Amino acid sequence: MTTIKLWKFFAREDLYECYQCARCTGSCPAMEVAPAFGPRETILKCLNVGHEKVVQDERIWLCCTCNVCEDRCPQKIPISDLLVALRNSAARRGNIPGRLVMAIELLAKTGRSMIVHQLDEMRAHHGLAPLPPAPVEEIRAILEKTGLREVVEF
Amino acid sequence: MKYALFLGCAIPIKYPGFEAATRLVCQRLGIELVDLPFSCCPPPTSMKLVHYDSWLALAARNLCLAEEAGLDVMTLCSGCVNTLKEANRTLKQSESKKRRVNKILEEHNHRFKGTIDVTHILDVLYQDTIVERLIKETVRDLPMRIGCHYGCHYFRPPGIMYPGELSDAESYVPVQMDHLLSIIGMEPMEYSRKFLCCGSPLGANADQDAGYAITQTKLQYMRDRDIEALSVICPSCFEQFDMGQIVLGRKTKEKYKIPTFFLTQLLGLAMGLSAKEVGVDVHRIKARKLLDGIGIG
Repeated sequence: MTTIKLWKFFAREDLYECYQCARCTGSCPAMEVAPAFGPRETILKCLNVGHEKVVQDERIWLCCTCNVCEDRCPQKIPISDLLVALRNSAARRGNIPGRLVMAIELLAKTGRSMIVHQLDEMRAHHGLAPLPPAPVEEIRAILEKTGLREVVEF
Repeated sequence: MKYALFLGCAIPIKYPGFEAATRLVCQRLGIELVDLPFSCCPPPTSMKLVHYDSWLALAARNLCLAEEAGLDVMTLCSGCVNTLKEANRTLKQSESKKRRVNKILEEHNHRFKGTIDVTHILDVLYQDTIVERLIKETVRDLPMRIGCHYGCHYFRPPGIMYPGELSDAESYVPVQMDHLLSIIGMEPMEYSRKFLCCGSPLGANADQDAGYAITQTKLQYMRDRDIEALSVICPSCFEQFDMGQIVLGRKTKEKYKIPTFFLTQLLGLAMGLSAKEVGVDVHRIKARKLLDGIGIG
């Protein structure tokens, strides 16, 4: 299993800047509708039980990535960087939603994140030329080199 | 004025009507668009969360294509602009990341140099010279109570999307779309929690019902203000509201539907283009009654 150096994405000391005011969590849309941790608890858990535990929990994926937490933080903690780093780490340990695996596979195989189906006809309806094919070989070669296979087979 | 047009994935494949409207509107406003063999951006809501290095490298490749053409990039999607702006900034600021990415891209004859900027069509349209053209090209007003939804990734985090535009104490609050729509005779309405997420990424990645619960909240705030239509600048937000009202309607039986438009569709209608030309005929929530009401067949 490969791991990532989480603290290269997010300075560990920034965790201590948080005084748990919960302004982030109070603004978090995912918290309103799902059993998400929310940013405040995520930071607290990183301090108390360690990020190794946090990235094993499926609930870290309950997030809109709307970045409102970072926007509202009175301490200007780059929370979105922390959330990206935690999920990158989780994905490498196999904690990744099935829907995301499918989305990444599609992207790696086709260079696009939408399935192309009977497209020419639909585009012609709107007076548009066919969409040129994506440079699939080049995309795949780049993704081989960046190590995407650490997370998703394609 | 000339840009490399970054269509992204959802618009050319799922909503080509937005592309058609955008091309027609840009032509009328004197914005020249160049097509380049871009790939997926890739999204800040999927690839970036799963594998940052892959996200950065693919974004860098897209940026390189525009650099090679000597053009700034104009995107049509809040997600694409978020990825490309952040990647561009990161690679301009970090020598080590640039070196790492270039080592991979050089095998494909690309090299990130940091010579171009990335922008969203809303910011392109909001320039003085374009606004002047828009006023001249507008042949009919669209008098309706319109709600604007900007899409989180268009403006957050503001330190990356709009650096230097806000003091430490404030959040960045976008106004561009409201202003543009007032030029074509619309009545932009304020509504509660206007900058709440549409719910799309939560639904796509983890929990569909939870995502739509956010959409429902937002729609209700719009209904509270008697908003007749919604304007968006992101295909994912569009789908969440357009398809979302169909899905939610099965449960809630809500009769008050809010037709949703992509910004350039509304501008196109004001310039005299037909509903079919700007592609509103394929939306799930039909706008016919609303458009008939203001004399647009």
